[in-house]
Parts: sequence; C-alpha cells; structure tokens
Amino acid sequence: MLSDMTGDEAIYGHFGAAGGYALAAQRAMHEFNTGPDTWKHIAVGQRAWANLNPRAMMYDRRLTDDDYRAAKWLIEPFRLFDNCLVSDGGRACILTSVERARDLKHPLVTIMGLGQHNPSGDLQKADYLAGPTGAKIAGEAAFSMAGISREAVDACQIYDCFTYTVEITLQDYGYFEPGGGKDWFMGGAIEPGGRMPVNTSGGLLSEAYHMGLTPLTEGVMQLMGRCGPRQLGPETNTKTPEIMLCSDNGGILQTHACCILRRL
Amino acid sequence: MGYAKPLPQVNADTRPFWQGCRQHLLKIQKCKNCGLLRWPPAFICSACLSSEVEWVVAKGRGRVYSFAVYHSAYQPGFQDELPYVVALVDLDEGPRMITNIVGCDPGGVYCEMAVEIVWDDVSEAFSIPKFRPLQGEG
Repeated sequence: MLSDMTGDEAIYGHFGAAGGYALAAQRAMHEFNTGPDTWKHIAVGQRAWANLNPRAMMYDRRLTDDDYRAAKWLIEPFRLFDNCLVSDGGRACILTSVERARDLKHPLVTIMGLGQHNPSGDLQKADYLAGPTGAKIAGEAAFSMAGISREAVDACQIYDCFTYTVEITLQDYGYFEPGGGKDWFMGGAIEPGGRMPVNTSGGLLSEAYHMGLTPLTEGVMQLMGRCGPRQLGPETNTKTPEIMLCSDNGGILQTHACCILRRL
Repeated sequence: MGYAKPLPQVNADTRPFWQGCRQHLLKIQKCKNCGLLRWPPAFICSACLSSEVEWVVAKGRGRVYSFAVYHSAYQPGFQDELPYVVALVDLDEGPRMITNIVGCDPGGVYCEMAVEIVWDDVSEAFSIPKFRPLQGEG
C-alpha cells in the first residue's frame, strides 16, 4: 500500500507530502537563509485567526512563539506546528453567471484573474523547490488577467500545507525578495489588525485541511461578509476587502493555481 | 522476519538498475540520441523523446542537494533508525536521486556536502544504494 503510493521512495523511508516539503524547505534554508524564525510568524499568525473562528479545529487553543519552538520535530526542519491538520469535512463553492448571482441573497463575488503553472512531475527532477515555484508564472498570469498590481490586494488566502508553502508562495508572487519574508512577516503583519491578513480562517494549519477549498472558500466568504468574528473590516481592525488573492498547489510544489477574486 | 522495510518494486524500467545494484554498480540511463543522463529510469528521454537508451555506471559520488531528518517512523521498519536522513543527492554525472545519508550524525548533514556511495545488502535479491560523507580521495 505504502509503496503503491510512494514508489521506490518508500525504500528509503520517504513518505508523503511532509517529507517532500521538508526537502524543499531545507533547500530554501540553504539558498536564502529562511527557517523557523520566519515560519513561526505564519504558524502563530494563522492561529490567531483560528482563535476567532468557532469552526476551526484549533479555535480554543492558543499558540505562542514559545509553543512553536517547544514543539517536537516531525520531519526536520518542520516542527509539529509547521504541518497542516488532518480533517474530515467538505467545502463547496458555487459558480454561476453574474446575472444569476445578482438574484441571490449574498453579495456578488467574481473571478478577476486566474493563472496556472505546473513545473514538473518528479521530485527527483525538481529544480524549483526553493523557488521560483509554479506560483511565479501562475501569479503573473492571474495579475495580468485581473489588470491589477499586488498593491491592490486586500488580503490573501494561501494554500498552506506547511508554513514554508505560505512563505515561498508569497515570495514567488513578488511580495518580498528571497529571504525577505523574515522581515515581511514580523510585527503581526498577517494577523488580525495586520497590514496584509493571510489565511483568515486559520487555514490548513489551524482551521481544517480541506485542500485548496479551505483558502478559496474563505476568500469568497470574506468578500461576501459572512465571516462573523473574524470578518475583515472594522471587527478585526483591517480594511474591508474588495480584492482577495487565493492560491492552491499540489504535489511537492509541482502544480500551482492562483485565483484573484473581487467583490462587486 | 528479516528485513522489515519496504523493498524495491521492480518494473521494466527499473530492472536493469536493481540488477546493477546487486553487483554494486550504480547504473543510470543515457539517451543514445541526445546523450542526456537521466534519473529516474524512464521509457523515453524527457529532453528529446527518444526511446533509444543505454545504461552507464555512475561512479557513486555527489553532493547533497537537500535533506530531511525523520523523527517519526511512518512505517515500523524504520523505528530503530530514528532519527534518519532522507536526501536528494546530485550525482557528479548530473542526475539527482533520492536516498539515505548514513554513517554520520544527522545533525552533521548539510546542503552541498560531498558524499559517496555505500551499499546496503538487504536481501539475496537487493542491494540498496545509500550515501555517506566522502571519506577522502580514493
């Protein structure tokens, strides 16, 4: 069974997504000096959002920098809180015409831009583990279609299978230079009240693992204004959002999709 | 029970590789059309799509591209080896392969570390290529 899923990688005790992303994150540590000092901001920041979300698996569990540091290694360089949750559940997003949506009770959210890039099929041929990943070309395509720049984005919902995934995705979207995440994430930048809210449900790390639909549905619901105590806007001392950047990726950074949403 | 870890799942693409391993020869494919050295084994060349291929023996040296240290055994056979190191090693010939780094403390492994092959004879049928820190010029 295990070998059916991982092929001959299982011979070496290499299993699943965590091992592959750990290899990616380790290479990134070598290339641009990232590491736990950057990733803790992502784990702790997203947990602060989950603490405002009663549906989040980690709703009633606080997480501090010290908790992050004290957690056990799973596959180094990842500690426990660098890893996403394992969840049962489901999400759905209903897509229809603008004309039909105008008749519905919720505010209208549209797709402004889409981009996709899928760089490779085999981990052993991957030369993008430390970036640029598929996020670079996918992001450029989505921004081009949307006709906006990064500065127009009010908040991000980034596929966060691991903390490092959030860093490399935002880096490849151009929010900071390689390694610049360590400063960019500081000061609660992505938390409630921060200058660029990220993964406002708690994300895959702290809300629930519903694959790419955790970020996408959160983006839609935030734009519709359906998020209760975690709603972007006056409730969380952030800007009421009009434009939301969402991402999804698959494999070990082998596939990537970027979706920019707008509230009409 | 003897060996408790997963064994290679040999298929038509990988059979010559594992046969080589049993003789302690690290064989990789070379495209007879464009000369690309490639890993993992495949039916056609990813560069030129030719199916004409030969096998050449790599000398078994390389550098660590990246590595991960497992602190948890996701399959019981690895329990006694924790923590152990999985790595992507760039062979001197070019191809990158997934393997283990053995024969050193996991805390001493680093990206770009020079490594050399060491054979793990796990059964009558299989020898598995692993790598250890380069022991000096030989």
